[in-house]
Amino acid sequence: MPFDAFADVSDDALLVLYANGDPDAARALNVRLAPRAFAQAMRMLGDRAEAEDVAQDAMLRLWKMAPDWRQGEAKVTTWLYRVVANLCTDRLRRHRNVDLDAVPEPEDSGHGAEGALQDAARITALRHALAQLPERQQQAVTLRHIEGLTNPEIAEIMEISTEAVESLTARGKRALTALLAGKREELGYSDG
Amino acid sequence: MAEMDKKTDTFDLDGMFADMQAPDTRPAPDFMARVLQDALDVQTGFAPDAPPPEPRVSRLRQFLSAIGGWPAVAGLATAGVAGLWIGINPPNAVADTAENFLGTSSDLYLVDLMPGYDFTVTEG
Repeated sequence: MPFDAFADVSDDALLVLYANGDPDAARALNVRLAPRAFAQAMRMLGDRAEAEDVAQDAMLRLWKMAPDWRQGEAKVTTWLYRVVANLCTDRLRRHRNVDLDAVPEPEDSGHGAEGALQDAARITALRHALAQLPERQQQAVTLRHIEGLTNPEIAEIMEISTEAVESLTARGKRALTALLAGKREELGYSDG
Repeated sequence: MAEMDKKTDTFDLDGMFADMQAPDTRPAPDFMARVLQDALDVQTGFAPDAPPPEPRVSRLRQFLSAIGGWPAVAGLATAGVAGLWIGINPPNAVADTAENFLGTSSDLYLVDLMPGYDFTVTEG
């Protein structure tokens, strides 16, 4: 069966078909969800190999729980967002004390090697600061500012009100600012 | 580019977030292939187990199953014993009823299987 035959089939229904042994449903779900999981992990971790590991792990968990999936209780994409976010957070926490010198060499962004390194250091610092936030704040900030979702979309994913999302992201950003302020020298801001 | 506002000592968080969104997030084909292989491998485990072969069932067990199990056998045995007893020593009501249906002469249907054993159903 061609993939577009599933174009109108919900993720829920595809997961049920997959659990019932339909290999085309597996292919359709893979094409639909694996790139999303990878993109989210890539934005959170910034490392292609680690992002692939996390996305593959998250997808493996999805495949394994397919027979127990309860249709209509949650969106598959929401579940996957949560799993990827949690796996990324775990990785970032494990590497919290990473040496900034160990930041992988970034691609030349056009403003010199020194500037590129500093950008990479800032991004790494931001990722690690994110990992130190309380889980709900971290999830809200990530979905809002890194995934680029709207507040109502985040509210649906996190099963809270839009106002609660706004509150979490505001508190999260304040906490991030405070955390990053302690790393000013590491990030090369103090000598400017 | 993320810069720091040196007057307020605050970070341009939005700029830093924008930098985080920059990396190429297109998945590699071999990654997609690995995830699909996982999916198909896991799916293989969902296949229902082959049903166990039917155990051989003895004729006695088949018979018991057909009539409803041991409780039915108990009822059947009781009915058999009762029938045998009624045949050996029928109450008068049974003999009268048989006579009414089959005529006045019991000779037509009574067969003395054991002549030496002195029992008969006498009329009236």
